[in-house]
Amino acid sequence: MSGAGSSPGGGVRPDVARPEGVRDRWKTPGGLAFRRQFTDRLASGFSYAATTVSVLALASIVWTLLSRGLPGLTLLTFTHMTASPGQEGGLANAIAGSLFQTAAAIALGAPLGLMCGIYLADYGQGKLASTVRFVSDMLLSAPSILIGLFVYQTIVAPIGHFSGFAGAIALAILALPIVVRTTEDMLRLVPVSMREAGIALGASKWRVILFICLRAAKTGVMTGILLAVARVAGETAPLLFTSLGNSGWSFSPAEPMASLPVTIYQYAGSAFTDWAQMAWTGALLITLGVLAINILVRTGFGRNGT
Amino acid sequence: MTASPALSGLPGGLSLPQNETHRPMISVRNLDFYYGEHKALRNISLNFPERCVTGMIGPSGCGKSTLLRVLNRMYDLYPGQRATGEVLFDDRNVISPDIDLNRLRARIGMVFQKPTPFPMSIYDNIAFGVKLHETLSRSEMNDRVEDVLRRVALWNEVKDRLHASATAMSGGQQQRLCIARTIATKPEVILLDEPTSALDPVSTARIEELLDELKKEFTIAIVTHNMQQAARCADQVAFFYLGELVEVDSTDVIFTAPREARTQDYITGRFG
Amino acid sequence: MTDSPASAEVQPPVQETRSGEASSGRSSSAGDTVFRAAVLVCGVSVLLLLGGIILVMMAGSVKAFSTFGFAFLSSSAWNPVTQHYGALAPVVGTLLTSLIGLVIAVPLAFGTAFWLTQLASSRIAGVVGMTVQLLAAVPSIIFGMWGFSLIVPFIARYVQPALLHSVGGVPVIGALVKGGFYGTGIMTGGIILAIMVTPFVTAVMRDVFISAPPVLKESAFGLGATRWEVMRHVILPWSRQAVIGSVVLGMGRAMGETMAVTFVIGNASRLSWSLFAPGNTIASLIALEFPESPAGSLKLSALMALGTILMVLSFLALCASRFLTGARPVARRK
Repeated sequence: MSGAGSSPGGGVRPDVARPEGVRDRWKTPGGLAFRRQFTDRLASGFSYAATTVSVLALASIVWTLLSRGLPGLTLLTFTHMTASPGQEGGLANAIAGSLFQTAAAIALGAPLGLMCGIYLADYGQGKLASTVRFVSDMLLSAPSILIGLFVYQTIVAPIGHFSGFAGAIALAILALPIVVRTTEDMLRLVPVSMREAGIALGASKWRVILFICLRAAKTGVMTGILLAVARVAGETAPLLFTSLGNSGWSFSPAEPMASLPVTIYQYAGSAFTDWAQMAWTGALLITLGVLAINILVRTGFGRNGT
Repeated sequence: MTASPALSGLPGGLSLPQNETHRPMISVRNLDFYYGEHKALRNISLNFPERCVTGMIGPSGCGKSTLLRVLNRMYDLYPGQRATGEVLFDDRNVISPDIDLNRLRARIGMVFQKPTPFPMSIYDNIAFGVKLHETLSRSEMNDRVEDVLRRVALWNEVKDRLHASATAMSGGQQQRLCIARTIATKPEVILLDEPTSALDPVSTARIEELLDELKKEFTIAIVTHNMQQAARCADQVAFFYLGELVEVDSTDVIFTAPREARTQDYITGRFG
Repeated sequence: MTDSPASAEVQPPVQETRSGEASSGRSSSAGDTVFRAAVLVCGVSVLLLLGGIILVMMAGSVKAFSTFGFAFLSSSAWNPVTQHYGALAPVVGTLLTSLIGLVIAVPLAFGTAFWLTQLASSRIAGVVGMTVQLLAAVPSIIFGMWGFSLIVPFIARYVQPALLHSVGGVPVIGALVKGGFYGTGIMTGGIILAIMVTPFVTAVMRDVFISAPPVLKESAFGLGATRWEVMRHVILPWSRQAVIGSVVLGMGRAMGETMAVTFVIGNASRLSWSLFAPGNTIASLIALEFPESPAGSLKLSALMALGTILMVLSFLALCASRFLTGARPVARRK
């Protein structure tokens, strides 16, 4: 490396004449470089700020819930039902009502959604399938309050009274498209070779789908169902029109039924401090539950899936 | 390092046309490169003589493309990739952290394996890069666009549709546009990463002719899988194997009398 | 949608099965027929469900539309005493809050997506990306309570007074910030919507930006472009349609939001020039007025008519976003 080694300046630098050239080619002439760098910094700075806003919003929500909800969280919350202001009360009936309605909604919506997803993934070829897929997406983005009105008109009004069952149906309609979409997506991720292997063993198509493909896609499908649980558990608007709420225990799904979100809604604006406290405690419970499911799904649970 | 005798012989060891002296434009010294834990380049030392075509050959995964991506610091885009050693270019070590990357990449242009027209018009594809580094008037820009399109022999084909989308062109045209886009920013070095591997033979031949023109002005480094291409285009050929530079010499020597058995085996098709 | 590569992969096994059916006898063939019929019924039931929703909503709103006619859309009256109902105020409120929400959310989402895809290291981007998605999981009613206890006082105490003080005298802009310092209103609704919609728009933008071909980015960097220039001049044009689609999708979501807006909108069915005056959206009006609307009443019919309008608006938004983004990818491979 004789040339380059002896004189660092002359060895590597070419003596090419560049008429338009600037003496130091490492610098962009004029203010252009500065302007470009400034714009880049500005955009980066803005994007940092934007990300911070989203993260701070979540932090602020969680902090607000913790600071206002935790003081009211006692054992009574889980053992006593909602009570008049001034009396010792809890959220037991609201929690039970939410659990029942969410569970019933998933029990209704998940199998239907699963079958519909199988239809789209394994039988859906023609125009009908793409229509079903589009309509399912429409349901996914339909405002939940409309679903509440629909169930009110078709079930509550004809029967004449609100019921936990009507609430569960409204939530099931909301859960359905979520399950449809994830089931279809997950089944499509199952390698063709796995289906072929099943068929090569002489298994019929429905067995291959139910016992091989669905099993292979189990984690993903469960993820979808859990996400549906998280979504409907916090729904308030449709329940206002269907299960209405109940200050006591509901022993039958045919009666109006309390739920956490509706109780929160009714208590949140209350002038009674113990009711307002109860609303924050309920809000804390439901948010922690929903976030826990989401974190579970998005971290450990989803990873060993597809 | 077996390559060092040849290196110290540079430029005199090269039988280059016109008997010019070709100083090293880029001088790589003791370069190591890592993808995370994996060492992809080992102690590479290599000069790229100015206004010459340096061909880089070797089997897949031998590190030739990696070296190309070190020269313009493209690896910086990806976390976990790092280089140690020296890559001297215009008095500065390219891989030192204080290098202005945007400026570096303006001076060392790159053309990729697949044509990569930006989603904009033919004209804007060229103007985009120029605007990054120079403030030109409208007529100056028009002249620049016409000039580079003429030099890649694309002007007559596209002069009537300069403002049509670049993605509608044929693959060969797109690749020539990408070369035009690169030379429009007036780089000193052009890196080509298998520029013809996605093209048909006719388009390939046109690109190779183009290289002959371009080397009058630019220093060129080209990675290729095609042995004939290296023999046709390159003045100097470097053979890489498993992350090491096995041999570098003038094209004639490499293809007629290589010193290393591994080089001989590769160019005669015994492996790779 | 059906001629996507994913469904093309599914095709061979369908044919394989037919030959499999023949070989494995009658019973499995009968099982297949039953199974096929069952999933088909489930698929069609989704169609029936949406059809039912549309029919019920329209049937419920017949009374209101026949009573008020076209005036229902152009009147801003909402008077249960005189039985006069009009949709103008809540429709304007819905569009206005959503618009404000988007004006705030789109830059936020774009900035976040830019950061997540171009600036952050992949590990940090994973964690932050998940945090942003968790924001989308928070139930609507929680946003309402949070907004009511944090954002509303902030607007009433600081934002509106400051705006009134600074631009209150300017002719047109002054009218936009006038009014009492309630803190509730169209602007607050828009801000809450912005925070709720941002994660949705961010998610779509991030997916689109990630799918931009690396070679395209590298060649722009190869010319010496900065990260911002690569984003602005290469990735953004490449993904323009999908980005607009994501914005429209966010619009659809914002329009249908109920509980969050109900808490902070102020519930006043009148039109006002001031963005800080209490207002209403379709969804919040339905939620608030429904308890006093007995089955079969004209008021309930008016609410159903509002619901129908909301349905049309949100379906239009979905169709527009689908048209712009193209068919959603049927399966995303990791």
